[in-house]
Amino acid sequence: MNLLTLLIFIPLLFGLLIAVLPSGWRNSFKYITLLATLVQLGISLQMYFQFKIGAANAGINNEGQFQFVQKLPWISLDLGTMGKMQIDYFVGVDGISITMLVMSALVMVVAAIASWEITKNLKGFFVLFLMLDMAVFGVFCALDFFLFYLFYELMLLPLYFLIGMWGGARREYAAIKFFLYTLFGSVFMLLVMVGLYLSVKDPATGSHTFNIIQMMNPANYDANSIFSVVNHQTIFGFPARTVGFIVLFVAFAIKVPVVPLHTWLPDAHVEAPTPVSIILAGVLLKIGGYGIIRICAGIFPDVAVSGSFVIGLLGVISIIYGALNALAQRDLKRLIAYSSVSHMGFVLLGIASLTAEGISGAVMQMVSHGFLSSMLFFLVGVIYTRVHDRDIYNFRGLGTMMPQFTVFVMIGFFASLGLPGFSAFIAEAFTLAGAFKSTSINGLLPHWMAACGALGILLSACYFLWTLQRMFFGTERLKGGEQWKHALKDLNWREKSALVPLALMALLLGVMPSLVFGKINDSVLALVSFLQHK
Amino acid sequence: MAYHALAAVLLPLLAFVINGFLKGKASGWVSTIAILLSGVLAIIVFNHTFNGGTIHISRLWFTIGDTQLQAGVLLNNLSTILLLLVNLIALPVHIFSMAYMGHDQRYGRYFTCLSLFCFSMLALVVVDNMVLFYAFWELVGFSSYLLIGFWYKKEVAIQANKKAFIMNRIGDVGLLIAILVLYSQYHTFDLIKLFGEGGLISQSYIKDGMWIAPASSIPAVWQYIACVGVFLAVCAKSAQFPLHTWLPDAMEGPTSVSALIHAATMVAAGIFLLGRAFPMFNTSELDVLAIIGCFTAFMAATIALTQNDLKRILAFSTISQLGFMVMAMGINAYASSLFHLVTHAFFKCLLFLVAGVVIHEMQHVKDENHLDIDPQNILYMGGLRKRMPLTFIAAIIGGAALVGLPLTSGYLSKDGILIQAFEWADTKSAVYMTIPIMMIITSLLTAFYIARLIFKVFFGKLRVLDVKPAVLCHISDGGWQYKVPLILLSVCCLFPVFSLNPLLYEHSWVYRAFMSAEHLERMNIYHTIIPVGLNIMVVVVIYYAYAVYVQERKMLPFAQNNWAFDFSYHQWYFNKAYNTLFVKPVLALSGGLFWFDRTIIDGFISLLQNILLWLSKMADVFDRYVIDGFLHLITAIVQYIGNFVRSFQTGRVQYYLLSMLAVIVAWFIFKTLI
Repeated sequence: MNLLTLLIFIPLLFGLLIAVLPSGWRNSFKYITLLATLVQLGISLQMYFQFKIGAANAGINNEGQFQFVQKLPWISLDLGTMGKMQIDYFVGVDGISITMLVMSALVMVVAAIASWEITKNLKGFFVLFLMLDMAVFGVFCALDFFLFYLFYELMLLPLYFLIGMWGGARREYAAIKFFLYTLFGSVFMLLVMVGLYLSVKDPATGSHTFNIIQMMNPANYDANSIFSVVNHQTIFGFPARTVGFIVLFVAFAIKVPVVPLHTWLPDAHVEAPTPVSIILAGVLLKIGGYGIIRICAGIFPDVAVSGSFVIGLLGVISIIYGALNALAQRDLKRLIAYSSVSHMGFVLLGIASLTAEGISGAVMQMVSHGFLSSMLFFLVGVIYTRVHDRDIYNFRGLGTMMPQFTVFVMIGFFASLGLPGFSAFIAEAFTLAGAFKSTSINGLLPHWMAACGALGILLSACYFLWTLQRMFFGTERLKGGEQWKHALKDLNWREKSALVPLALMALLLGVMPSLVFGKINDSVLALVSFLQHK
Repeated sequence: MAYHALAAVLLPLLAFVINGFLKGKASGWVSTIAILLSGVLAIIVFNHTFNGGTIHISRLWFTIGDTQLQAGVLLNNLSTILLLLVNLIALPVHIFSMAYMGHDQRYGRYFTCLSLFCFSMLALVVVDNMVLFYAFWELVGFSSYLLIGFWYKKEVAIQANKKAFIMNRIGDVGLLIAILVLYSQYHTFDLIKLFGEGGLISQSYIKDGMWIAPASSIPAVWQYIACVGVFLAVCAKSAQFPLHTWLPDAMEGPTSVSALIHAATMVAAGIFLLGRAFPMFNTSELDVLAIIGCFTAFMAATIALTQNDLKRILAFSTISQLGFMVMAMGINAYASSLFHLVTHAFFKCLLFLVAGVVIHEMQHVKDENHLDIDPQNILYMGGLRKRMPLTFIAAIIGGAALVGLPLTSGYLSKDGILIQAFEWADTKSAVYMTIPIMMIITSLLTAFYIARLIFKVFFGKLRVLDVKPAVLCHISDGGWQYKVPLILLSVCCLFPVFSLNPLLYEHSWVYRAFMSAEHLERMNIYHTIIPVGLNIMVVVVIYYAYAVYVQERKMLPFAQNNWAFDFSYHQWYFNKAYNTLFVKPVLALSGGLFWFDRTIIDGFISLLQNILLWLSKMADVFDRYVIDGFLHLITAIVQYIGNFVRSFQTGRVQYYLLSMLAVIVAWFIFKTLI
């Protein structure tokens, strides 16, 4: 049994188990889910340690260099004169995806622990949870565009219900907003996918293919096809490859999210229950960044190079705009949602630089933000489950009442604002270094972009420290008075068991960034040289 | 030796980790023993490596792209002496803290943070590359944040630590940009490769608007930006104009913390950075440094004249003295600047510990008598010299060193700076002479404000008695934990520690360590006239202060209600100006953007949504009334016809016959007619 396939479908197995168990056993569902995520974490760690590095295992555009590959024919239709339609079950990992897998697996465990607070309709919740889990891992591993798209769409459905059924007061509004935004992105993606399918031929079989890696090779494109590299076709008067890139980019940019396509995020977060917020911020946003690296830049490298200025600009705008918006929030969860927008801007800026430092920094930022945003949303959930309020001005002096909680908040806040010793510092420093270096290496991004990005670091200190000062320090004062004071108990063992691994990971990656950089470096170098030769 | 240094750095980290798990009073000893051992190691390192060239070891930290990041230890004269200095200051402060913080509920937390600070500071001085330098640069700021806000229930304290961190962040961003510029220009973070002798910086030059390095060249403007970045970092850490306003507020932390962090060590990190990055500044940039340093020194001294808070006076004094050091760097008096850094660390730490003892005793008086006074306000003090003689002597020594009276260490370092300032101004146009003259004025102001402080606190009569005459006063020098640090530091403020010749700064070993031999000649008249002239004036000023504050003669040159007094008392209105110019606009901007987000972007989305809804309603109407309407029409017609035809189905044969007949008749009529 292929480890990777096992990793992807483990949650589905456990999900089916929960589905057939009688509702009377509902108290066991959370343990089953936790077990599923722990098994997944174990498998992903095993893969991480087995993962071979070296230039010969770089992956990216070289099918033979992917690891843990499984390729099975899946849908095969003989279309007569039109050739043969071939869709494969094709999964595999390289340096960029392996780090995402381990990060997602850990975040899933934390999300499972956070699911303890769910009280209604447990069977539905955990089945959807595990289905989402499977889809997420599928997206990170799929190397066949059809399979990728399938998993990508499969994520939408559970999320819609998870927000819409277990969310807060305006959950339906948030769910439908999220659904429409993402659907808008993915519907057009479908068209591009079909266009690519019709343009690319597998040199081995001579028939059209959905293989993403074959799509990266310009030699595989039919000369007359719509996305042909040689003949510059147009769609509505625009170059076809540019249109294809933009469509895919918009789809992923909505996920990241990039300003101005971000407004679903604060609403979705505010309404979503804590575990869903954790998955949303911790994992789903990374699918956007991952998709931009693997799909957009991989399949349309020529456009990625020529469009990098715009991508970088969007990144800088996201950084500054998100940070300033975070400064204006009174709802703690919304503040963290906007800070996510700001931090994910660094990912975009790093990718746009198309330098090894920038892309490595971007991947690091995704991993780091995965842990840190999960931690922050979990912490917000701690307060919210206790008193059902998140307004910053309704709390004061929490440091006295909940000292351990405050310590974790401080770790989370300072790690997020890029305190050295934590992962975000390395990530942000090297994204900026890459963006800065870009001018002299490939001339894509001007120097001022990195300088403006650095402003985001200053602003993040402002909003996090201001929040600390308003909510956690000073003399005790609560809107809810004695009743709240009674309810606001310090962390229990379950909460600590979720927070400690996240804090430790952020610290570990900050002190030993080689844990990530060591695995991704060959892939990043391969990607950079691949992009340079376009 | 490098491993000894590494151990010296890591010991406080170990103490930090242990204290993290420890509860109770043991943590004080853990931290103190760690810093003691670290100090012993630092002395060993110092003995072996001072004036013995550069020691550098490094290991691969991680690889990113094709850049390999090394992490290592770099020991040269600059780092070795600071390693020793930080330990020598930290040890008495640790001992002092054990008593000073003894009754605090969060005693353990205090020492945890203090050890974290010591670790970061020691690491900062020995690291060998810019990334690590930046990392520890921020970590010292972070530990200072934790300690300023140590009493986190005090509103002013948490305002102050936020302000300190954010203002330092401005400097950090500057430093980060400078590092990025250097990295993109030289492709390395290594301090030796960049700033070492014959290093990359010294090989590059500016020509035709380009900054040309051995491997690459970028527009010259980036050289200036890198320098501005470094300079911002220096301004933030070392509290220079325009980023100085956090330091006075930082006095809200415990006094022992102020002594260690905000007087002696962390604030000197900016000067250390200047020392490390010195080769990258060209002449005009150094001139700017000199001007800013000089201005800061003067401004802070004028503010210190009117403050009534014991610690704030000392804080402004620190800013002023740091200004001296920055100015010294600017006039190329590299060695004197670092020398002053070392001597200042001792005497300012001493003065702060004196302040700590005084405040502790005043707090005691306040608590014992349930008074409503500010224990830091010098207006309530007075006559303490008889009650706490040791503290008084320490204050006199510290004050004398600050003023720069002969036989103290301050004399050696400060006069060196002033003499070189005059020499420097001689080589430039006449305008530049204002800088040394301003520095002379600043020195006189320094003499006045520190004399005012000492006279108000230690002479005259105890003014608390004016508030409540029947106050019980148990004021003393305190226990050994107070006395030993004061004695240790007092000794370090005297000349024999630095030079066997009490009058000539060129003989000091610290100065010689940073200066090549040819600069040691006494070339001109300044070397005699400035120390003599300045000291005579200083004595006059101190006597004047004595006349005003002890003999209480009405000789004040300024009234307490004119604009000059207000201007000084309100610290030149910097806080107000920054609040109006920066804080409020940024908050307004963020509010505006949030409005934009909610109204414009979300508004656009909901507009789309409404259009969609309207379209679907239209489709619904069309569906219901047009398509369905047509279907309904057809069914209605069919139904009508059916109903009509049904009416014939009566079941009576006669009717059927009749209708048949009628049809036939009609048909015949029809046929005949056509």
